Amino acid sequence: MLEIKNLHAAVDGKEILQGLTLTVEAGKMHAIMGPNGSGKSTLSYVLAGREGYEVTAGSISYDGHDLLQLKTEERAAKGIFLAMQYPVEIPGVSTLTFLKTALNAQRRARGDSELDAMSVLKLVRKKAEALQVSEEMLKRPLNVGFSGGEKKRLEILQLSLFEPKLAILDETDSGLDIDALKLVADGVNATRSPQRGMLVITHYQRLLTYIVPDRVHVLAGGRIVAEGGKELALELEAKGYAQVAKEPA
Amino acid sequence: MSAVSPIEARKAEALESFRVRGMPHRRFEHWRYSDLRAVLDAGQVAAAGTAHWQIGEVPDGVEVFDLAKPAPPDWVVKNLGNIGNRPTMEEASLAFAQGGAALRVAKDRKIPQILPLTVSSTGNLRLLIVLEEGACLTLAETHAVDAGLLRNVGVEIALGRGAELTHVRIAPNAPKSFTVEHIAVGEARDARYRAHFANFGSRLSRTELHLVLREEGAEAHISGVNVLGGESHADVTTHIEHAAGKTHSTQQFKHVAGGKSRSAYQGKITVREGANGSDSRQTAKAVLTSTRAEADLKPELIIFADDVKCAHGAAVGDLDAESLFYLRSRGIPEREARRLLVRAFLEEAVAEIGNDELRAAVWRDIEAVLPRALEQAR
Ligand SMILES: Nc1ncnc2c1ncn2[C@@H]1O[C@H](COP(=O)(O)OP(=O)(O)OP(=O)(O)O)[C@@H](O)[C@H]1O
Ligand SMILES: [Mg+2]
Repeated sequence: MLEIKNLHAAVDGKEILQGLTLTVEAGKMHAIMGPNGSGKSTLSYVLAGREGYEVTAGSISYDGHDLLQLKTEERAAKGIFLAMQYPVEIPGVSTLTFLKTALNAQRRARGDSELDAMSVLKLVRKKAEALQVSEEMLKRPLNVGFSGGEKKRLEILQLSLFEPKLAILDETDSGLDIDALKLVADGVNATRSPQRGMLVITHYQRLLTYIVPDRVHVLAGGRIVAEGGKELALELEAKGYAQVAKEPA
Repeated sequence: MSAVSPIEARKAEALESFRVRGMPHRRFEHWRYSDLRAVLDAGQVAAAGTAHWQIGEVPDGVEVFDLAKPAPPDWVVKNLGNIGNRPTMEEASLAFAQGGAALRVAKDRKIPQILPLTVSSTGNLRLLIVLEEGACLTLAETHAVDAGLLRNVGVEIALGRGAELTHVRIAPNAPKSFTVEHIAVGEARDARYRAHFANFGSRLSRTELHLVLREEGAEAHISGVNVLGGESHADVTTHIEHAAGKTHSTQQFKHVAGGKSRSAYQGKITVREGANGSDSRQTAKAVLTSTRAEADLKPELIIFADDVKCAHGAAVGDLDAESLFYLRSRGIPEREARRLLVRAFLEEAVAEIGNDELRAAVWRDIEAVLPRALEQAR
């Protein structure tokens, strides 16, 4: 579903991704692990099409499309969802209004009919309950004054609302306490499906005990340096990135 | 020698004062962003004649006097031309307007409904609003657009003890006209003036407020939006004088400038000697949605008193790139995302309008202008 080949990408003229190759399959849970500054968020931004992230070489094909030819919003409409490491606060836009606008924009782009405010509210309520996102939070401006954990829960609420084909979760576990981590992991697991490819970015093995990956990829120095099954995560935890990166993939 | 009425005498004085000082230009104090002399001469101001006005059904407790009529009542004679600090264009409106509206709300009358007042054509015009002690009024001032060259309105507002005026002024986009309005406000003890100025620009648009908090406990809460596209211009200049202790003022202005528009805000606050224990807050922010648009924000604080709290801030910027990316990554097309962010930016200032109906009216006008205000000019 997603095929990244020899990807080189630069930010502000500095090359961060240096020949990254990665395949994500539908129905599979992929995990990317890697040290700070290795380029994990950069990869997620390149996939989402953020301005300023310049692809200098390589290719990305997604679901039969040349991903790099699509605008950010087109990628979203075609089913790419990025749960961000640092979700932005937008004062003046209520969370519910935002969810409705986004959901309908995606539906419109796919040629589906738009949902009225009542139907959106019903749908959101249903999803929000499981993630313990309160009605009061939905009325507040988007992410404004939300705790770190609340922001992450709202990202997962969007994952479950938008039902993307490819979900990229960038450090969704950071800033979560144990209970919230389980809640979020349950939320993520509930969205696993044979049609959906998933790419979970994390530092820690901890998340992967709740969200069990099919494949683990190690990103270091802007490229994938090791790949394996879920046992690779445990090995990383025991040996550290530096050691594993040295061994042949 | 025939007797000259006090109003006639005051008008003659205004004419003379305008003749001597002439048209304001960029070297006039606080006219830096509105060079009126470069586009208009004094003869054209005189030739603009008198603007028409209309007022809604006059509720019980409100008295309206047409300034074109003879024999003005005492409250008109006493106040007309005597509230403001007599800047040159205000003097011109007094000298050249052959009419206008004066309205008075009687002591302790609290008028529940909105009173609509429309300036229905270009020309010079005078408006006088007097609220007696304890009176309360919501005035919606709107302007019709025509092809005339100049609209020059001089508004005077006198608020008695404990009186409360809510003044929402909506100036629609008038691409063919030069539009000038001077609002002079004097407030007695515990009076409150709440105003919102929604400006959608003209060839040159100038809104000037000069407000004096004369006695203890008087308050002013001013907010406004400039939403501009094309080649529009709008300059909002305020001067709030805290002339007595324990007076309060807040100002909240938000500007959006797209296309090749120019937006300006100059906000001067003077806290006079002895006006101790006063506080004053002022924020002005502008978002430029086009590289060819311009915004100038100039706060100015002059404090002669003690124990005064003043806070002010001004910032000009672009729409936040990170927010824009976040919204687009959720499938919201760029245009719509920009619109959403601009609305969110304006929200804080529009929310200052307490009246639901008037707030909705301002939002409707914003929506109408927004596509142009979001346009990147070539
Ligand atoms: N705008 C920028 N200009 C220059 N360098 C940048 C810019 N943005 C990111 N970088 C650099 O790119 C590298 C990769 O950053 P990235 O955020 O992708 O790392 P990460 O793997 O997500 O790290 P973390 O685990 O801390 O989230 C870092 O060295 C970072 O400093
Ligand atoms: Mg990161």
